Amino acid sequence: MRIRARGIVPGRASGTAVISPAPFSFVGGVDPATGSIADAATGIAGERLQGRIFAFPTGKGSTVGSYVLYGLGKRVLGPAAIVNRRADAVVAVGATLAGIPMVDRVDVGGLRTGDRIVVDANRGAVELEDVKGKPVVTAILRNRGQILIVRRSEKVGTFQGRWSAISGHIEGREDPKHRALVEVREETGLRGIVFRSAADPVLARDGATMYLVHPFLFDAPSRRVHLDWENVEHRWIRPEELHRFATVPRLMDVVAGVLGPSA
Amino acid sequence: MRLTRAQRHLLKEGTVGQRKAMEILLAVGRLADAPRLVPITSAHVSGASYKMIGDPGLEFLEDFAQSARVSVPTTVNPLGTDLAQWQELGVPATFAEKQGRIARAYEAMGVRPTYSCTPYLLGVRPAFGEHIAWAESSAVCFANSVLGARTNREGGPAALAAAIVGATPEYGLHTEGGREPTVIVTVRAKPRGIDYSLIGLVAGERVGDGLPFFRGFRGTEQDLKWLGAALASSGACGMFHLEGVTPEARRARVKGLKSITISRDDLVSAKRAHSDGTEADLIGLGSPQLSTEELQAIARLIDRTPPRIPVWIFTSRLVREANPEAVGIVERHGGRVLADTCLEVTLLEHRFGTVATPSGKGAYYLPSLCKQKVIFDDVETLLERYA
Repeated sequence: MRIRARGIVPGRASGTAVISPAPFSFVGGVDPATGSIADAATGIAGERLQGRIFAFPTGKGSTVGSYVLYGLGKRVLGPAAIVNRRADAVVAVGATLAGIPMVDRVDVGGLRTGDRIVVDANRGAVELEDVKGKPVVTAILRNRGQILIVRRSEKVGTFQGRWSAISGHIEGREDPKHRALVEVREETGLRGIVFRSAADPVLARDGATMYLVHPFLFDAPSRRVHLDWENVEHRWIRPEELHRFATVPRLMDVVAGVLGPSA
Repeated sequence: MRLTRAQRHLLKEGTVGQRKAMEILLAVGRLADAPRLVPITSAHVSGASYKMIGDPGLEFLEDFAQSARVSVPTTVNPLGTDLAQWQELGVPATFAEKQGRIARAYEAMGVRPTYSCTPYLLGVRPAFGEHIAWAESSAVCFANSVLGARTNREGGPAALAAAIVGATPEYGLHTEGGREPTVIVTVRAKPRGIDYSLIGLVAGERVGDGLPFFRGFRGTEQDLKWLGAALASSGACGMFHLEGVTPEARRARVKGLKSITISRDDLVSAKRAHSDGTEADLIGLGSPQLSTEELQAIARLIDRTPPRIPVWIFTSRLVREANPEAVGIVERHGGRVLADTCLEVTLLEHRFGTVATPSGKGAYYLPSLCKQKVIFDDVETLLERYA
């Protein structure tokens, strides 16, 4: 599948991914002599960066990180490309000095260490060779500060029995927001919902399938929900209660995307 | 980003250094969605202390110096030690040798060897409205706020890249909109001495990366130097306005802005929060480097109340050499006037454990950058205490 990205440092590279779920500093985060990850907080300490596609949410820490990245590049110990959620100047300058292609605006939470990835910073794209992408919408319905979650039926194709928000597949080239409105009407019977916001797509991974989730927030005028066959149970909950439910992948991040990180 | 023909030429057919410099500016510009590069009249580069940038920085600078040359007047930040007095300070020879190599790399690129965080005290006084590319947060704050020049908080390599190309990405503090205040800060105290540093520290903590509009007090250029240095340490501020004092305060739009207040109690508790030492090994004066007037005033104070612990005074080589009398007084009383370096980027941790200072920026950075405990107070109070 192909994921849109923003090119920061031009170039194109391919390799297997190494992913840090935590923000990363090249000062202290990597051994400059070997290019091995040294920061235990990344969960990937000991992995070598050489020739890999290195993805992490954003840079942090000392500005000396630019020079460390330069040194890694010069000794051919650095990554083949860098993928960020939000690029910062220290890493961007370091990648430039080292000549390492770099993109950002990619939800690295959907990538897995070991994925085969092509980064094309010239065209602003990240390609996952072995992963099939499925664009979906998720509609967060809000009423008096609470949000609607539904438990998926045993009859649906995926994630049977898990808690989810109202969601559905995007067909062809249709507008994601339109699809969200249709799904809300079909799955809840609610009328008169009001669009509030949309958020950047979240990448929810399920093995070799990647759900490209477009999150939307709507205000619902009432709580009278009439479920169709796809769901068997519904609840209105406070967003902070979400962690108590067995949900579909990354529902928490989808909710945080439209409501803000405090949710 | 839209480039001029000359800029496109540098990117495609320039020297290795010119091409790299263009690529850095493009990457930084992409991050900020800058529409173009704006020509600059001067640059000030940070990242010169070996203590701060270490072997990775030294390696980059020596490689880069093989082909990179600056194209506008460019000054550079303090080094990790005084190039003339390092032996007396007990600085290891390897440190001094590598520090010398960093200095030579910058000089080879055509950078003026000022080794100062106060280029505005050394004749680099950009005019109102001039675009510049300065690193060094305290100088950025001074240039924007007090002089009305325009610079973002550049990183070291980005400022060097701008110096080579003679232009920098146009966004943030280069634009009219980016210079509007985001919060009103009313100070209910009549400041003197270290109060300016304290106002900066408290405001920086509260406004983060905002742009404060101060009201309720006045100050000289020298006072605002200390305020801005502290503000840019505890906060990510590149500029402030002071009602009735700074040149862009009059036309700043303040209607409807959130307002916060700083009281005398806030200043007292900030001073306490930044003082964790009990007995000082050293009085450190600088951060930013002292001006001629400040050096002469301190020398008079030291002559009147000679301290029993060493005093290290950080200033520029230019100011040191212009004031042999003041230097003589300080040295006669066992102190040192150090040039080329400054309080928090110099090597202190090999000799000292607690530093007394009247600098808000110093008090903020000494614990992390120099592993020091701090006694934060006015210089008069410190000199009497250690008389």
